[in-house]
Amino acid sequence: MAKIGVFICHCGENVGAKVDCTKLAAALGDHPGVAVSVEYKYFCSDPGQESVKKAIRDNNLTGVVVAACSPRMHEATFRKACAEAGLNPYLCEIANIREQCSWVHTDKDLATEKAMDITRSMVEKVKRNNKLQPIEVPVTRRALVIGGGIAGIQAALDIANAGQDVVLVEREPSLGGHMAQLSETFPTLDCSQCIMTPRMVEAAQHPKIRLLTYSEIESVDGYIGNFTVRVRMKSRYVDIDKCTGCGDCITKCPAKKISSEFDCSLGKRTAIYTPFAQSVPNIPVIDKANCIYFKNGKCKICAKTCQCDAINFDMPDTFVDLEVGAIVVATGFQVQNNSLYGEYGYGKYPDVINGLQFERLASASGPTAGKIMRPSDGAEPQTVVFIQCAGSRDPSKGVRYCSKICCMYTAKHAMLYAHKVHDGKTHIFYMDIRAAGKGYDEFSRRAIEEDEAAYIRGRVSKVWQENGKLMVRGVDTLLGKPVEIAADMVVLATAIVAQPDAKEFAKTIGIGYDEYGFYNEAHLKLRPVESSTAGVFLAGACQSPKDIPDSVAQASATASKVLALFSKDKLEREPVVATNNEVTCAGCWGCVLACPYNAIEKKDIVDRSGRVIKRVASINPGLCQGCGTCVTFCRSNSIDLAGFTEKQIFAEVMGL
Amino acid sequence: MSIEEQYRKRAMELLSGGAVKMVIGYGRGSNAERRRPVFISSPEEVNRLVLDEACIANLSGYLVNEGLLSDEKRVAVFLRPEGIRAINILAAESQLDAEQIVIFGFDVSGNEVKALKGIHVEEFEDVIGAIKEHAPEMGNEELLEKIEQMNPQERFAFWKEEFAKCIKCYACRQACPMCYCRRCIVDSNQPQWVNTSSHSLGNFEWNIVRAFHLSGRCVECGNCDRACPVNIPLRLINHRMAQEVLKSFDHFAGMSKTQEPVLASFKKDDSETFIL
Ligand SMILES: Cc1cc2nc3c(=O)[nH]c(=O)nc-3n(C[C@H](O)[C@H](O)[C@H](O)COP(=O)(O)OP(=O)(O)OC[C@H]3O[C@@H](n4cnc5c(N)ncnc54)[C@H](O)[C@@H]3O)c2cc1C
Ligand code: SF4
Ligand code: SF4
Ligand code: SF4
Ligand code: SF4
Repeated sequence: MAKIGVFICHCGENVGAKVDCTKLAAALGDHPGVAVSVEYKYFCSDPGQESVKKAIRDNNLTGVVVAACSPRMHEATFRKACAEAGLNPYLCEIANIREQCSWVHTDKDLATEKAMDITRSMVEKVKRNNKLQPIEVPVTRRALVIGGGIAGIQAALDIANAGQDVVLVEREPSLGGHMAQLSETFPTLDCSQCIMTPRMVEAAQHPKIRLLTYSEIESVDGYIGNFTVRVRMKSRYVDIDKCTGCGDCITKCPAKKISSEFDCSLGKRTAIYTPFAQSVPNIPVIDKANCIYFKNGKCKICAKTCQCDAINFDMPDTFVDLEVGAIVVATGFQVQNNSLYGEYGYGKYPDVINGLQFERLASASGPTAGKIMRPSDGAEPQTVVFIQCAGSRDPSKGVRYCSKICCMYTAKHAMLYAHKVHDGKTHIFYMDIRAAGKGYDEFSRRAIEEDEAAYIRGRVSKVWQENGKLMVRGVDTLLGKPVEIAADMVVLATAIVAQPDAKEFAKTIGIGYDEYGFYNEAHLKLRPVESSTAGVFLAGACQSPKDIPDSVAQASATASKVLALFSKDKLEREPVVATNNEVTCAGCWGCVLACPYNAIEKKDIVDRSGRVIKRVASINPGLCQGCGTCVTFCRSNSIDLAGFTEKQIFAEVMGL
Repeated sequence: MSIEEQYRKRAMELLSGGAVKMVIGYGRGSNAERRRPVFISSPEEVNRLVLDEACIANLSGYLVNEGLLSDEKRVAVFLRPEGIRAINILAAESQLDAEQIVIFGFDVSGNEVKALKGIHVEEFEDVIGAIKEHAPEMGNEELLEKIEQMNPQERFAFWKEEFAKCIKCYACRQACPMCYCRRCIVDSNQPQWVNTSSHSLGNFEWNIVRAFHLSGRCVECGNCDRACPVNIPLRLINHRMAQEVLKSFDHFAGMSKTQEPVLASFKKDDSETFIL
């Protein structure tokens, strides 16, 4: 005989205000099989949980239903309490009368009736629940960090410094990401390279870090604690073990006119190249598309120059298979393509550039050695107009959000320009100055007060060329007047957007993303560095636009999550796994394909003489993650999921 | 030589040489307009085979009869293009080995029967591709058009009325080559998801479940339509599902014997407009 205990929680006013809990408790008390039905203000509190435990013991309850908030919130709490009172935790279920009832309804009578339905249906399910035992799985103590920008480097270093193995995968030839491209950094104006390169070197030389540059993730399988990852190491055509990084090959390469990605096409590079002088590792790669040998079959000058015989034109891509227990995704961002703003003339007028290009102009290691020279003729611009929110907060360009860092870097650009061109003039068009952060408002004030940046509140409608000047027409909304400025250079503060392959890549690793392609955290407030996939964590600008301090903080947070995971030998896993009925299975093997965890195998049933009499599917409980995909797929209804069996769900539905 | 004669001759050769153990084709039916399936296993019987414009049933479903193919011997079968697509799906869903199937392909347009070249399912790719581009007429385009014009309430009412006629004989399922499960979901009674009595809820459950189970799989052969004793235009629902799948996933059922089932597979560029 079922003896179910029903515990109705007011959740303070959250449930209580819209659901008559006394009436609900009375109604459930009359339901067949219910032994106890009580209400309380906060069952999740200590005395609340104690009262549940006491009721279990006093009444020998065979099952528990807590009518309260979402199971995501407190299922674990109450299952633990049940276990402490000697009841198998899987005999406890949550009836969600908050998110699915009180929060979304206004009529108290109707909401109370609905709460009754929801709770009764859970009682019917619990009556059919079975005792389940958790499954233990081992943890591989090695972390994979994807992306070698500042966020990825920080996460890798923190994990490695705690003594755990890390594999750091970067798809470009060098570590560094965007931070390596920056000149000086707000809010302290320290030189980006000077603080970045030591970190890159430290990561590369760390005994606990295995660095795979020029490498991409091919596939990710498995689950928390037990991922298997395949990495493609793209061929550099340069043997990483033989090359000494002398750079002779680079000097001799005759293909010299290739536009440099690192310098945002303001500089040139050769076909065999390192992205920048301080690259880590300092080993060049051959850019196959632009190499004269690969194009015409003749050249190989680099190979002849190399004294170490390190260059091999037949080098294939190689694959590395990794077993890892946790994954940190730190794949960063890109700047929006400014040609979306046809009215600002980006791509049409060489002297309309974006913020990242300005960083390269201002950088001591950049194509102009830090001298501000405009791209068209190399002249020093005397008047520069900066346009903020060139892309951000503009639904018509597909970006509704604020890119968060542009106000700050534009102030920085104005300062750097003032420091380098003493009698130059800057005008900054802005919508708002968003300078929330330690030392940030002081920083932007400094740009205005000490470096005489002229801020104009308003948007720019058009940029065009006239008599060798870039004419900028906008409006000063504070004065309510149109303005027109003749400038020598225009800098657009481009929106920070997701990597071009962000959505695609999310599918490879199996994490969620928002409409823009930024990766979704499990909970924006309480679990901001965890993805919704257990064991996969998020660091840096791949989650949302971020500056360096935020990226680094988030990276360290992921490291602490990874280390907490690695502090255990074994993980306990929910025993929610699927089983199939071989008698009714039709052997269509759709489930084999549908299972995202490759947990289902094809199986032959043979008779005594070894003749195949039937082909069926067979589920490996060690690999099954209980997602239920196969259950929904199976047409012959042959698969059942422990904890969510067909009988239980049916009873739940019929209980409504 | 007429196609009928050619195919009889070919059947004779295959059977006497032992290349196939059986030929599944059409024979005379209970009246002049009807044809019924015949299962010929000796060369003497080939004259029972008939091939004319009345041969419309899709015979592919007989191939998955339990035990028929388990001796790994070959079986020949008369198939129209829809039947050939069905072979691809059955092979893709591991229900048969396409190597074992010898196809006598034909198509009917108006009163004319024409032979389709090829014997292995792979050889009919062009024929199937052509149907994907230009769907043949189903004969009830007018009704289809009418249903398309309806608003959701009207459409619901239309199907409610149609489904009300259903007597749960499951003839549609028995006739459909894709309904090969040994235990159909309606026969599962622990729990009984689909109500067996013929009231409107149970009828809805049954017909909608079947439509879902056939999405991305139905080849629009019309076996179900013709089998239904109360004339529910079943193919139209499946036709609509096929269109949805084609539009959303560019999946045309039965293109090849290695085609992945659309609802079990996942491509990175799959449309995800339905995810909120
Ligand atoms: C113009 C400009 C000026 C800025 N100035 C400042 C400043 O002054 N101060 C400040 O605090 N911040 C500044 N920022 C912000 C700063 O650049 C970012 O906060 C920081 O770079 C974010 O680091 P990240 O590691 O998250 O991303 P990134 O720097 O973008 O690094 C991501 C790395 O991941 C790699 N990657 C991407 N996808 C893959 C993949 N699939 N597999 C392997 N590797 C992959 C990339 O190649 C890259 O190396 C500025 C940004 C811009 C655009
Ligand atoms: S989907 Fe169902 S019928 Fe098909 S193989 Fe899997 S368990 Fe068997
Ligand atoms: S529930 Fe089914 S689909 Fe999901 S992991 Fe388990 S076997 Fe695979
Ligand atoms: S559902 Fe009907 S039309 Fe479609 S394959 Fe089955 S029998 Fe043919
Ligand atoms: S053949 Fe017609 S009447 Fe029979 S079960 Fe199918 S839809 Fe119903």
